[in-house]
Amino acid sequence: MDANVKDADKAIIKESYGVLGMTCASCAVSLESYLKPNEGIQEVSVNYPNKSVEIVYNQDAVTLNHIKNRAQEIGYEILTGDKNEQQEAIEQAEDNRLKKLRSKLTVAAALSTPVFIMAMFFMGQIPYENWIMMVLSAPVLFWSGSEFFVNAWKKLQRFSSNMDTLVALSTGVAFVFSLFNTIYPQFFLNHDITPHVYYESAVIIVTLILLGRYMEERAKGKTSSAIKKLMGLQPKEVVVFRNGEEISVPLSDVLKGDLILLRPGDKVPVDGKVKSGESYIDESMITGEPIPVNKVKGEEVFAGTVNQKGSLKLLARKVGGETLLAQIIQLVKSAQASKPPIQKLVDKVAGVFVPVVVGLALLTFFLWFFLGPEPSITYAFLTLITVLIIACPCALGLATPTALMVGIGKGAEQGILIKDAQALEVAHKTNALVLDKTGTITEGKPEVTDTYWKSDTSKKLFQDILLSVESNSEHPLAHAIVQYLKEAKSKPVDISNFESITGQGAKAKYEGEWFFIGNEELVRDNEIGFSSKLKSQSDTLTQEAKTVVLFADHKEVLGVIAIADKIKDSSKQAITSLKRIGLEIHMLTGDNQQTAKAIAEQVGIDHYKAQVKPAEKGEFITALQYKGKVVAMAGDGINDSNALAQADIGIAMGSGTDIAMESAGITLMHSDLQQITRAITLSKATIRTIRQNLFWAFIYNVIAIPVAAGALFPLFGFLLNPMIAGAAMAMSSVSVVTNSLRLSRSSFG
Amino acid sequence: METIKFKTNINCGGCLKSVTPHLNELDSIESWKVDIENPNKILEVEVEGDENEVIKAVVKAGFEIERV
Repeated sequence: MDANVKDADKAIIKESYGVLGMTCASCAVSLESYLKPNEGIQEVSVNYPNKSVEIVYNQDAVTLNHIKNRAQEIGYEILTGDKNEQQEAIEQAEDNRLKKLRSKLTVAAALSTPVFIMAMFFMGQIPYENWIMMVLSAPVLFWSGSEFFVNAWKKLQRFSSNMDTLVALSTGVAFVFSLFNTIYPQFFLNHDITPHVYYESAVIIVTLILLGRYMEERAKGKTSSAIKKLMGLQPKEVVVFRNGEEISVPLSDVLKGDLILLRPGDKVPVDGKVKSGESYIDESMITGEPIPVNKVKGEEVFAGTVNQKGSLKLLARKVGGETLLAQIIQLVKSAQASKPPIQKLVDKVAGVFVPVVVGLALLTFFLWFFLGPEPSITYAFLTLITVLIIACPCALGLATPTALMVGIGKGAEQGILIKDAQALEVAHKTNALVLDKTGTITEGKPEVTDTYWKSDTSKKLFQDILLSVESNSEHPLAHAIVQYLKEAKSKPVDISNFESITGQGAKAKYEGEWFFIGNEELVRDNEIGFSSKLKSQSDTLTQEAKTVVLFADHKEVLGVIAIADKIKDSSKQAITSLKRIGLEIHMLTGDNQQTAKAIAEQVGIDHYKAQVKPAEKGEFITALQYKGKVVAMAGDGINDSNALAQADIGIAMGSGTDIAMESAGITLMHSDLQQITRAITLSKATIRTIRQNLFWAFIYNVIAIPVAAGALFPLFGFLLNPMIAGAAMAMSSVSVVTNSLRLSRSSFG
Repeated sequence: METIKFKTNINCGGCLKSVTPHLNELDSIESWKVDIENPNKILEVEVEGDENEVIKAVVKAGFEIERV
């Protein structure tokens, strides 16, 4: 950018940008004359030797991005700042955070171990021990544990408190008090009080809580790799026509308006329209529908879909980040980013605990000050400080992560992969479940479900002929029939004159006689007889939303074959049990109303919606959430991924697309809906364990608070000392870890 | 289907890039190519229908074109 001059009229902007891709003076003229007619652009002057362009435009009428896109359409890159860099910077920052946390944890662990050993086993045996412990502890608290103090300060400014407040308060007070006793032990010695130091308590708390944070951070869902999975759906090389020649170029070089050759089996590289040719395209990854769609001239195709057996010439309309696929990914990302983090149970508990502890500490102070023995001010301060020191349980930071880790491990054993620990924390609250139809409730691929034959005696021969004809066909349904007949042990026979009839089916000759395979239109057009018995069977199948294929000779229909996407064996039972645990169940599908109705009725779903577009699925979830529901969504396709990311709990099918799994917090490896009930039960068990853990973490310290406050002093002359603090530390940690491990032995589901 | 030749100022690879989407967009064109080695930068188009569409498309892309 050379200049940035704003005219008196603020909306008018005059600016220069670098341009890539101009190789001769004609290019410059072309760019100028291409940009000029655009609305909002007042002047364009290209400086070819400088490779730059000066544009005067009205920013109310046209955005710089739009101008940039226009230039890209004809192959020139206007250099403005790039958004991708920002995205990468965010990912980089996330990565750095984890790395930094790891080094902080390492330092904390390395320094607290000697402090702990000295305090526990060699107290009073090492010269200058307090000084050594002080030097070792300072970095643990103020470098490794700095975030506790920063967060606590931020919270304090808003008069609230959380776990960080408790940690900062307790360890901070412990350190300052210990420091005082290290530098000036005479103060307490003069009053006949032992000047205890609590370095080990402070550093162990910091270390264990950092350990917990690190475990949690690791268990947190990674959001950044969805875009990398997207790359896998796109071909690396694309064949385009350039100046009349077929050449292979990298995908990133494909421009809008390029003519692309799509060979059989190729992945569609861009969004575009068919210029010539005819082929079936598998769009299941976008629409969720398993049967490939026939594409002819003028029809739209989408990046990421897969060409079947024909060849097509495509005109690129949208490339790179503009494709539908990229937009879906964008929706997923923004849904993931906008998800509010749930308030952690531990923070809720700490939020109440902190004011109570501070209140108790002050109460202790005043009690000692007014009622205590001389020097009462010293005792008052001492008890105030020790109450604060003992208040923070060592195992506080371990309560949640250990339970989550065990819960995640338990899930994995049963084929429930939990990527996002947060999903496990909220799943137990689910009260609405949204299911995708294809691939989630159903198998997701067309299969032969019913067959009726004119006569059972010649059934064998009919099947053999059918197999032979369908083996020659490129129609996507033919594959399902071939599969079925092969399993039925049919053998191909010699046929000749195979001919496919567009939009109707195919025909071929066997022993001199024509046989027809196709839809009702084919039967009608060829004036083939259709017995009322077979006709009514065919009509019933159609009503069940199955696709009917007819097999006939030139006289009459000989067989009726129904093809449908079968419901998974376990779906109905799973839905019944999910209803029993009180979930409101919805079904969404891109499929038509009739099929949606048929499937919903068969599995017992009352609420369903047909012909739903990918973005609408996400909106449906938002609407439910707006009504106050905690929504789980189960799906398998790219079309579900936005909804999966939007839902409170996203559940992907293991048989589905990578992007769906990437968007969801939970993946069911067996793609079995019954696993959802198990996941919810697991979540309940995990949350119960977290609650118990918090109880065990706090209980020993809570018991020790009266000791610290001096409850035993009148009887035994006993105040808090490091042994009591150490015992509370050990007991709380052991109890929490043991209790978490208990979860792994429990059985449920 | 007829092959028509035009004289243009489509000079180089960059120019070709800019003109490509405009020509590809035309339904009336089966195939096209420009001989940029030729001093007259001859655009050869196999066209079925109105040749004026070709001229319009090239002008829109910012180049000069005339029938030869």
